[in-house]
Amino acid sequence: MAMLRQPGPRNAIPLMLLMLVGFAAPLLAVIGFSLVPARSFSLWQMPTLENYAGVFSGTNYISFVYSLVFAALTVIVLAVVCYPVALGLVRVFGKWSMFMSLLFTIPLFVSENVRLYGWVLFFIKNGVLLGTLKTIGIEPESWLFTQSIILFGMVYVYLPFMLFPMTLGISMVPKETRDAAFDLGATRWQVFREVDLPLSMPGITIGFLLSFVLAVGAIAEAKVLGGQRIIPVTHDIEIAFTYAQNWPMGSALSVLLMLVVGVLVLVVLRRFDLDTILGKK
Amino acid sequence: MTRSQSTIHGPILELRKLTRTFGALTAVNAIDLDIAEGEFFTIVGPSGSGKTTMLRMLAGMEQATSGDILLRGKRINDVPANRRPTCMVFQSLALFPHRTVGQNIEFPMKIRGVDPAKRKERALQLMRQLRLPENYYGKNVTKCSGGERQRVALARALAYDPEILFFDEPLSAIDYKLRKTLERELKDIHRETGKTFVYITHSLEEAMVMSDRIGVMQAGRLIQVGTPNQIYSTPTNRFVSEFIGDVNVIPVHIGPNGKLISDDFAAEFSVPKIPVGFTGGHLVVRPEFVRFLGSGDASENRLTGRVYNEYALGSRIQYQVRVGEAVFIVEKLRQQAYTGGLDDEVAIGWSGADSILVSD
Amino acid sequence: MEAKQTNWRNGLVWTWSLAVVAFLYLPSVCLLLASLTDSRYFTFPITKWGLSWWAKTFNSLEIHALFKTSISIALCVTVISVVIALFGALAFARYEWKGRSIYQKIVLLPIFFPQSVLGLALLLWFNALGLDLSWKSAVFAHLVWIVPVVTLVISIQVYSFDPALEEAAYDLGATRWQVFREVTLPVLFPGIFSGMLFAFLLSWGNFPLSLFTTGADTTIPEYLYAKMVAGYTPGVPVLGTVNTFGAAFLLLGGYGLILWWRRSRIGDSKE
Repeated sequence: MAMLRQPGPRNAIPLMLLMLVGFAAPLLAVIGFSLVPARSFSLWQMPTLENYAGVFSGTNYISFVYSLVFAALTVIVLAVVCYPVALGLVRVFGKWSMFMSLLFTIPLFVSENVRLYGWVLFFIKNGVLLGTLKTIGIEPESWLFTQSIILFGMVYVYLPFMLFPMTLGISMVPKETRDAAFDLGATRWQVFREVDLPLSMPGITIGFLLSFVLAVGAIAEAKVLGGQRIIPVTHDIEIAFTYAQNWPMGSALSVLLMLVVGVLVLVVLRRFDLDTILGKK
Repeated sequence: MTRSQSTIHGPILELRKLTRTFGALTAVNAIDLDIAEGEFFTIVGPSGSGKTTMLRMLAGMEQATSGDILLRGKRINDVPANRRPTCMVFQSLALFPHRTVGQNIEFPMKIRGVDPAKRKERALQLMRQLRLPENYYGKNVTKCSGGERQRVALARALAYDPEILFFDEPLSAIDYKLRKTLERELKDIHRETGKTFVYITHSLEEAMVMSDRIGVMQAGRLIQVGTPNQIYSTPTNRFVSEFIGDVNVIPVHIGPNGKLISDDFAAEFSVPKIPVGFTGGHLVVRPEFVRFLGSGDASENRLTGRVYNEYALGSRIQYQVRVGEAVFIVEKLRQQAYTGGLDDEVAIGWSGADSILVSD
Repeated sequence: MEAKQTNWRNGLVWTWSLAVVAFLYLPSVCLLLASLTDSRYFTFPITKWGLSWWAKTFNSLEIHALFKTSISIALCVTVISVVIALFGALAFARYEWKGRSIYQKIVLLPIFFPQSVLGLALLLWFNALGLDLSWKSAVFAHLVWIVPVVTLVISIQVYSFDPALEEAAYDLGATRWQVFREVTLPVLFPGIFSGMLFAFLLSWGNFPLSLFTTGADTTIPEYLYAKMVAGYTPGVPVLGTVNTFGAAFLLLGGYGLILWWRRSRIGDSKE
């Protein structure tokens, strides 16, 4: 009680209550549901592990692997795509930097399925791309409904989540430190490896983590662009909750996903002092 | 002749066994101190000595763990900062960036409900007193220069009409030349207003310029209190003497013959009187009291060595003399400069009465 | 030589970044194009240009109802989240307290969490509590994710806030409430304003949380999704375009406002 008289904990109360009721409790409910017999809709039953056994004996684990592999691929592609842009935002664009950041921010606020639908209109038969090609006499197959376009869609949707933490990381490298390294005879590559990379690592790691975690939970890309060529684990979860009416199975899958995500997040975040990253003076 | 005003007025602020601990750390350790009405009192100490914590307790921003703070004899430990008749000028100045110069100065009067016309009149009067141009009234504080911001912060504090003003190293971030000017201005304002100023700084030089009295703090304790002259000429321990600046502090002990022996210089030194019970400590010799000796000159204390290097310090020149492995510093006025070459053998000496023996 | 090399490299960075911008906005351009046709199905090149689907969409009563639902959710989320997040950010970045670093990580957890799973978890939880689902339950669901985001946005402003400002005001005689009103709130306002923009736009565009928690009510992203999966109409690109331009307008306008404000504050006010 004495602690609550301090301003810090006192100001944290509303948010912590929200997290308790809106985050911790629902997750506990999911864990609870994953332990009741299949196809039941009430929590108060004998706990069982049959749902977890079901995940591994059935085909659900395949979608799990798909989700993890696609998320990992997304992260790798994003790292390559975003690094030059992040570098530009910090060191090249100068007075345009603010405007460029805004351009990268705006899509964040448009629902991802709306933006993905724009790609459908681009790639669809008689759409913007194929329609244009048709006028000059080329008629290739549509790229839609393939595995690779799902990766394309994920890269597209999660780009800002890699870009902004990465930018933050690169902006943490003081110019003087780089200059000093050059001055001490390092080559550009050595400066990158010895100075830029280690000093911007907190931001880059957070970018990796954030885009990976969100990509593991991706669902819209496969549905809108992929024509369900790949079934991600989130899709299986949704099916279990809706058509299949098997909440315990859906919960068990969710718990496994939460475990992967949770362990990853906790391990990575433990290492960081958020004050330094977010710019405490 | 020192003007210690404590003899003229009674104390305005009394500290009785004032203590503040943070966990296992005792930041301020049982301090007893009287500060006189109208006095300019400066607390000097290195960072981590507890001086800021002590000032924050006096201003009401930090709770004392134990001990009392008395203002004109009344205990004010439990009076919060916003009801104490004291005001602080912060290290960062803490000017409100969303307000103009005028609005900053008027802030305490606005809080007190003074009507706008009177507020403005007083603000302009304070600006005149602090030599801020009148057209700065509507200027954004973030656009003011360092010195101007300093004056605005002081004007804002004075607008509160406090009985005591506290200063938390407000000049530490300002370049040398401007700092020297502002030090003098601050002392002038102290005279004009007649208020009690309590100032903290890590620079003894700054404290010397402005203060009526100085207290030296080390590790949470007030180890010496006195006028600038007293602190300078008779430091009571090794810490204070080293804190003052470049001095020779030589470890000594009592030899079998009852004389002071320095192992570093392999020499015997003499002082007018060795206190009873002294077994070992340090001999403090100010570099300006040391002479270069001619071949025929006699001296009570004498060393021979080589001049290793010389450093120009404005009106004086400092010499590093090496005696074996040990280093001794000597300072001379420019017109009495050493005329020999580097690495020449020289004899230096000083009178025992000009040195100070400290027991730690 | 060195300068030439740098220019060349900067040119490459610019080119690449602009290509990424084009990549980000290409779908929006496609949506815009698709909304400007008068035919029932989209074919490119467009043969019958026209605004008839814009007119139909704006006159549709169903769309009006969707707008009302989405706006109600977004406004409620904005107001509630900014209040909680302002205090949350003070605890996050302003005060030193035991447990702060754990608290900071707890705040981040919902951001680092797949939203579709969070939506389902909330569905289960509401169900276990026996709550009826409606746009109000969606407000709560949005808050779980948006409050942490807004807390981070405001925290960045709080980090650059000098705590001595509050102490100075307090020392000059202000009460706690006066300190908050006269100093804390106005100095933090740019951060609070950005937080409001974020809250509104994120709630407006959210799909995965709404999907599971709105019950019988439908938001615009949900409607669009339903139409995309089955029963395309050119109303989809119309609404998509409106959403994109709306977000761009609010964001550019909002930051324009902050810039203008900052400039007018720095410019000396005339006596």
